[in-house]
Amino acid sequence: MYGLVHDTLLASVLRWGSPTGVTQQDSNVQRLWDVTYYIAIPLGAIVIGLIVWCAVRYRARPDEDRIPRQVQYHIPLEVFYTIVPVALVAVLFVYTYQAEDNEDNVSPNPALVVRVDAFQWGWRFTYPNGYEVIGSVATEPSINSTSLPVLTLPAGETVQINLYSDDVNHSFYVPAFLFKRDAIQGINNSFDFNIDPSVAGQRFVGECTQFCGTYHPYMRFWLQVVAKNTFSTWLSEHHGLSTTVSEG
Amino acid sequence: MTLLQERPPQHEAPERRLVEIVPGPKSKGLLAYLTSTDHKQIGVNYMVTSFIMFLIAGAMAVLMRVQLAVPNNNFMSLETYNQLFTMHGSIMLFLFLGPFGFGTANYLVPLQIGAPDMAFPRFNAFSYWLFLGGCITMTSGFLTSSGAADWGWFAYAPLTEAIHSPGVGGDLWLVGVALAGFSGIFTAVNVITTVFCLRAPGMVMFRMPIFTWNQLVTAFLVLLAFPVLTAAVVLIWADRHMGTHFFDPTHGGQPILWQNLFWFFGHPEVYILALPFFGMATEVISTFSRKPVFGYKGMVFATLSIGALSMGVWAHHMYTTGAVLLPFFAIMTLLISVPTGIKFFNWIGTMFRGSVRLDTPMLFALGFLICFLLGGFTGIMLAEPPLDFQLHDTYFVVAHFHYVLFGGSVFAAFAGIHYWFPKFTGKKLDERLGKLTFVLMFIGFNLTFFPQHDLGLRGMQRRIAVYPSNAGWNFLNMLSSIGAFILAASVLPFLLNVWVTMRTGKKVGPNPWDGMTLEWATESPPLEHNFEFLPPIRSERPVWDLNHPDHTTLPHGKHAHQVALLAAQRAAGANVMSGGQLTGNGGAPGTTVGPAHGNGGSHDGGGAGDGDHGTVEEA
Repeated sequence: MYGLVHDTLLASVLRWGSPTGVTQQDSNVQRLWDVTYYIAIPLGAIVIGLIVWCAVRYRARPDEDRIPRQVQYHIPLEVFYTIVPVALVAVLFVYTYQAEDNEDNVSPNPALVVRVDAFQWGWRFTYPNGYEVIGSVATEPSINSTSLPVLTLPAGETVQINLYSDDVNHSFYVPAFLFKRDAIQGINNSFDFNIDPSVAGQRFVGECTQFCGTYHPYMRFWLQVVAKNTFSTWLSEHHGLSTTVSEG
Repeated sequence: MTLLQERPPQHEAPERRLVEIVPGPKSKGLLAYLTSTDHKQIGVNYMVTSFIMFLIAGAMAVLMRVQLAVPNNNFMSLETYNQLFTMHGSIMLFLFLGPFGFGTANYLVPLQIGAPDMAFPRFNAFSYWLFLGGCITMTSGFLTSSGAADWGWFAYAPLTEAIHSPGVGGDLWLVGVALAGFSGIFTAVNVITTVFCLRAPGMVMFRMPIFTWNQLVTAFLVLLAFPVLTAAVVLIWADRHMGTHFFDPTHGGQPILWQNLFWFFGHPEVYILALPFFGMATEVISTFSRKPVFGYKGMVFATLSIGALSMGVWAHHMYTTGAVLLPFFAIMTLLISVPTGIKFFNWIGTMFRGSVRLDTPMLFALGFLICFLLGGFTGIMLAEPPLDFQLHDTYFVVAHFHYVLFGGSVFAAFAGIHYWFPKFTGKKLDERLGKLTFVLMFIGFNLTFFPQHDLGLRGMQRRIAVYPSNAGWNFLNMLSSIGAFILAASVLPFLLNVWVTMRTGKKVGPNPWDGMTLEWATESPPLEHNFEFLPPIRSERPVWDLNHPDHTTLPHGKHAHQVALLAAQRAAGANVMSGGQLTGNGGAPGTTVGPAHGNGGSHDGGGAGDGDHGTVEEA
């Protein structure tokens, strides 16, 4: 009980409700959110406080004809409010650089490489053993449909996604992973996920976030996380097969 | 070009300084609209036309919010929705905010620097007609059988290739953007020439009002950015109609090239849409606090550095493409927050210990400060690539740029409209209706866009016409749609206000707000060639100096001790420095030499030297 209260307090007071994710990579994103909130929220409170205070404290009464002192410059103050933001930006940049470096780091020998192709309007997931999942939008799709193509990935291992587009630009986005990457012809994008073992068995929704034409909102998929040991059995059972899903 | 007569000797009557170069009787109404080359008429044309475009695009936004009010809605088809969000964005950015800024530049920059007109009056009229052509061409896509363009306002290739978007609406969009682009380029040429060549004697660069400074920097950004866009649009046209493959990957073209070209325009564009409105807010805050702009020179340098930095941040729109150098664009983008922060402290410092009058323009300026601050902070979040990987192309971004462009620019624009309306028409807008406009707009705006931050964090992607009912987005979307109706309703009291004021408003004279800058020195509305008489220009607030000779700007720092000395000199009636000052001003046609002690930009006693810079047109 104490632990729960402590965690909740800590989460709400020290993290200001910044997002949490479920992969090793997005722990970087979480920490950067925290740092940003630490800087932005007090600073925002001070600035809004000053604006409101000035407007209320120094407001003129009706028919008041007071002319205030015509002060225009205060060099030390001006230097102060130039240097402090530069320092804050420098701090923020250091954290940003580290987080970005970690998040974009691609392993030279991932445990699994999955090829993801985006097209108008659907997804194709290809595993190393030739298993293929193809999902495309039905002629009259329903946005509430749950029959979406499933990208099955193991937890607790380095999974690499190679992302391609067949036609226009798309974007591969899993909100729970706090991550997206665009699929653009002419650019080969690779990125890694190390999914937290605690979410094995859970299913997350994936979306296309780059506007890609008429059926853009329907371009969704499921990301099914399975435990490391059951994944290899699952994959070998699907050797050489192909699954076609009509989304919606 | 508008010519200034050779500077008359000091003893001549001041009103002979200006030469009318477009003679003949002044036309009115439709004829004036069609034929005038007067910068004020053209400015009004720009403002009214772009405001009509604002209403049209706003109506589109309301329709979109109806569609998104509930999940899985079929109020409109997917195709219609895609056309609406494309045209909403395109009109708001290309045909409303930018041109509205140009309109205010046209009307106010010559007045603020004491010029009789823009430098190239006919060229100026031509710019307006190109802009109007752009408006008609772009929106006429709705009249075609395949509808208007539906590829989003940044028109990412290869969706724009003929094979993916065959409709003629897309072609009309391209032509409309090119026309608006040329209009912008020509206006920028005009503004820059006007500022450099037509400033009144004594109006050195560091005595120009902040609004004019911001318009000058904006004009340079337009010159750097718009040609790239216009050229890129021509490339798409060539891809679609001439068999080229600039952006077509199936024949070796590079879609990413379009993104680089577009955002090389697109990011300076954001500042083109923001800086003029920062300027308006600055003027309003200064006038309604009855104080000079705090840290005037610092603010000018902040504007210049925003302009400079904005040319090097375009790829922060492309973090998720995996094709840009993230640290470089991250640090450049984060750095922009420094000059922007300086501006905030300038605005606060201007209000500090002022005499703050909370009239409608000031209320809008305060709304601008608060909303734009939030937009700035979310901008810092989006500037960090790891956070952008999460937030890019979600409703968080939609919320962010509406906080910048609506909460920032549009609120400041309304501040400016309410502030300068007496100058434009001679009549002051009704305060009660104005305050009603503000309250409705502030509530409606925040209710519409604040929930969208959370929608983005919950993973709602932008540009979707439908969303599932089980994603946890229903309540926030409903809230946002209710807000959109309040926001739309807030325009009604404003339109009513304009209508009523134009019909029954009382004349309020040349300077109802105790304004400080030169536009308040002439009649309302101004005479055909603006000025019968110019007050002496010895600071960036000539009209204030004239009206309040005992309250000129205080020197600062170690110069502060001179205040007592100067006061003593003034009391003794000794204009110790005025002789040199007037000569340096090249014969400023004022007869009042009251506060002639070189304050403002010349506290170091360099009044005469500064004056020399003011005589650039003596060639």
